[in-house]
Amino acid sequence: MKKLFIIFSLLLLIYMLWPGPGKISDFKPLPSSIKSTLSGDTVEIPNVAGYFSDNYRQFVTSFYKSNYWQKTFLPFPPIRLNHPPEYSWTAIKKHTDSTYFEEFVYPLRDSFYVNGFEPFYENFEPKFWGSSKFEVENRSFYTKTTLRFYPSSKFTKFLVWLGVVTSIYWLFKLGKKIIV
Amino acid sequence: MKKFISTLEKILFYLVLFLFVFIPLYPKFPLINITGTFVAIRIEDLIIGLTLGLWVIYLVISNQVRSFLKDKLSLSLLLFFFIGFVSTFSAVFLTHTVTPHISILHFLRRVEFILLLPVVASVVKSKKQFVWVLVFLALTVVSVNLYALGQQFLDLPVISTTNSEFSKGLILRLTPGARANSTFAGHYDLAVYLVMALTVLSALFFAVSKKMKLIILALGGLSLLVLIMTAARISFVAAFAGVVLALLFSRKTKFILLIFIAAVVILIYPSQLRDRLISTATVNLFSGGQRYVSQTQDQQVRSKLNIPTLAIKTSSESASSSSFASPSGQTATDITPGEPIDTTQLGVYRSFAIRYNIEWPRAIRAFVKNPLLGTGYASLDIATDNDFLRSLGEVGILGTLSLFLILTEVGKRIFNASRYDSRLVRYFSAGVLAMLFAFLVNGLFIDVFEASKVASLFWMILGLNLAALKFKE
Repeated sequence: MKKLFIIFSLLLLIYMLWPGPGKISDFKPLPSSIKSTLSGDTVEIPNVAGYFSDNYRQFVTSFYKSNYWQKTFLPFPPIRLNHPPEYSWTAIKKHTDSTYFEEFVYPLRDSFYVNGFEPFYENFEPKFWGSSKFEVENRSFYTKTTLRFYPSSKFTKFLVWLGVVTSIYWLFKLGKKIIV
Repeated sequence: MKKFISTLEKILFYLVLFLFVFIPLYPKFPLINITGTFVAIRIEDLIIGLTLGLWVIYLVISNQVRSFLKDKLSLSLLLFFFIGFVSTFSAVFLTHTVTPHISILHFLRRVEFILLLPVVASVVKSKKQFVWVLVFLALTVVSVNLYALGQQFLDLPVISTTNSEFSKGLILRLTPGARANSTFAGHYDLAVYLVMALTVLSALFFAVSKKMKLIILALGGLSLLVLIMTAARISFVAAFAGVVLALLFSRKTKFILLIFIAAVVILIYPSQLRDRLISTATVNLFSGGQRYVSQTQDQQVRSKLNIPTLAIKTSSESASSSSFASPSGQTATDITPGEPIDTTQLGVYRSFAIRYNIEWPRAIRAFVKNPLLGTGYASLDIATDNDFLRSLGEVGILGTLSLFLILTEVGKRIFNASRYDSRLVRYFSAGVLAMLFAFLVNGLFIDVFEASKVASLFWMILGLNLAALKFKE
C-alpha cells in the first residue's frame, strides 16, 4: 500500500507540474477571425482574448479543446464543462454577452473558458430581438468568441500537491483507526 | 493555578449554557456586513469566538493539549480543518473560483461551528450540569415554538435572511400564506431545529418520571404542531425517520406503529404540509398537474429561448397583454409556459426545479472540476440545497470523507452508550444518534451543515452527548 501511495503521489506531482500553456497568447487565434481590440478584450483583464468570426459553437469548442490538449502534451483531453451563459460574468468579466459558455479543465491544473455570443442561428435567422452582426474593420461577422485562461504558478501547484498527499495520507491513517 | 482553572471551567460552562439558549433565540440581526455577500457576522459569532478563545487558554493551562491531540476525534476535526484550508488555498490560487475573503470567512465559519463539539464535550463535567443544559434546552424549545405561534396568530415580528434585502435585519410580519420561522430567519431552519428536538425528546420520554413524561409529551406535541405549520416536507420525513430510529435505538419498537398512525393522521388532516406533499407526488413524481400554455406570441418565443435576459420582439398588441397572468386570478403573475397553474403545485415544482436544474448541476460541475479538493468554500453561490453535493463541490472527496470520519467517530461513541447504567444518558444517546441520522436526511434537500443556528446546535448537542458519556468513565 505504501508503494502504491508513493507511486500515486509521484504521478500526481508529474501530472500537476507537467508543462502546458502559460498565457492566453499561447492559444491559437480562431481561424478566419479578427482579434478584438475592444476594451476588456485586451489588457484590462489578464489572459482574455476576443475573436470575431463566422464560427459557431461546435467548431469553436472542438477547436479550442484540441488546441488546449495539444499544448499540454498529456495523453488525455481536458474535461469539458458546460456552464450556464450567465456564469461568464463571473469567470470572464461582467457584461460579457453570451449564448454558450464552456470550460476545458485539467483538474488540479489550469482552466480555459470559451464563451460564445451567437446572435443568429446557423441559418442566419436572428435569435432574439435586436440581433445584429458585428461590424469590424469594414467586415461583418456572425459570432464573437471570448476566451479566458486561468494559469497558476508551479509553486502553487506544488503546495496544493503537498496538501493533497498529506490529506490522503492522514485520511487513510485515521480512517483505518476509526472505521476498522 | 488550580483555582484559576476551576473558575475558568465555570465561566466556560456558563458561556456554553448561554450559547445553548442564545443561538436559537436571538434573531439573525447582522452586526458586521461583509462586502460581496449578504451573510453577515452576528453577535453570536463574537460570543462563540470568545468561548473558543477561553477554551484554548483552558486547554493550555490545564495541560490538556497533548491528550486533546491524541484523541481520534480531535485528530479527525483537525484533518477536516486542514483539508478545508488546502481546498481554500487551491480555490484562491489554483482554480480561481472564489472571492478570497468570502471563502476564508466561510472556512472559518465551519471551524467555528465544529469546534463547539469539543468545547461542550470538555466543559460539561457533571450530571448536574448536564441536566441543567437539558432544562434550558427544553425551555428554549418552548420559547421558539411559542414565538412561532405568535408570528402566525399575533402578528409578532419576523426577521428573515431569505433574500439580500431581508437579511439587513428588517422587521417584517408574516404575509397571508407565509410560514412562521420563529427566531430562525427561515422556516426550513426552524423545521430542522424542531426535528432535532422531536427526535431527542422521543427517546428522553422513556428516561423520565411520569410527571416529566407529560411535560415531554406536551413539548413534543407543540413542536410537532409548529413543524406541520412550517410545511417543510423533507423535515417532516426526517422527523418521522428520526423518531422511528430513536424508538429503535431505545428498544421501544412497539411504539413505532403509533408513530405510523400519527403520521397517517397528519397526512390526512388538511394542512399546507399535506397539500405540498400531495403536490410533490403529483408534479415531481408523476409529472401531472395542469400546465400553463403560452397565450401570446411573446410567451411562445420566450419559452424557446433559454437565456431569459436576451430581448424578444414585442408587438404593441402583445406588449399590452404580455403579462403572463392576471394578478387578481388564481394563477401566479410570473408563471411561464410549462409550469403548473395551481399555486401550491407551482411552488413545489419550482422548489425542485431550482435544485435539479441549477443548484445540483453547479455542485456536480465543481466536483468534476476538482474531484479531490472541490472549488472551495463559497464557490457554489449561497445554497446548493443538498449538503452532500455541496460538500463534494466545495471541498471535494477528501473534505467530504473527512467530515464523514468525524460523524462516524461521534456516531460510534454514542452508539456504544447502550451499555451505560444511567437511563438518562442511555436514552439521551439513543435520541442524539437518531438526531444525527435525521440531520443527514434533512441534508438531502437543505444545507443543514451551513445553516448557522442549527449547525452550531447540532455540534453542541453531539458534544453534550460525548460529555455525558464521560460521566461513567
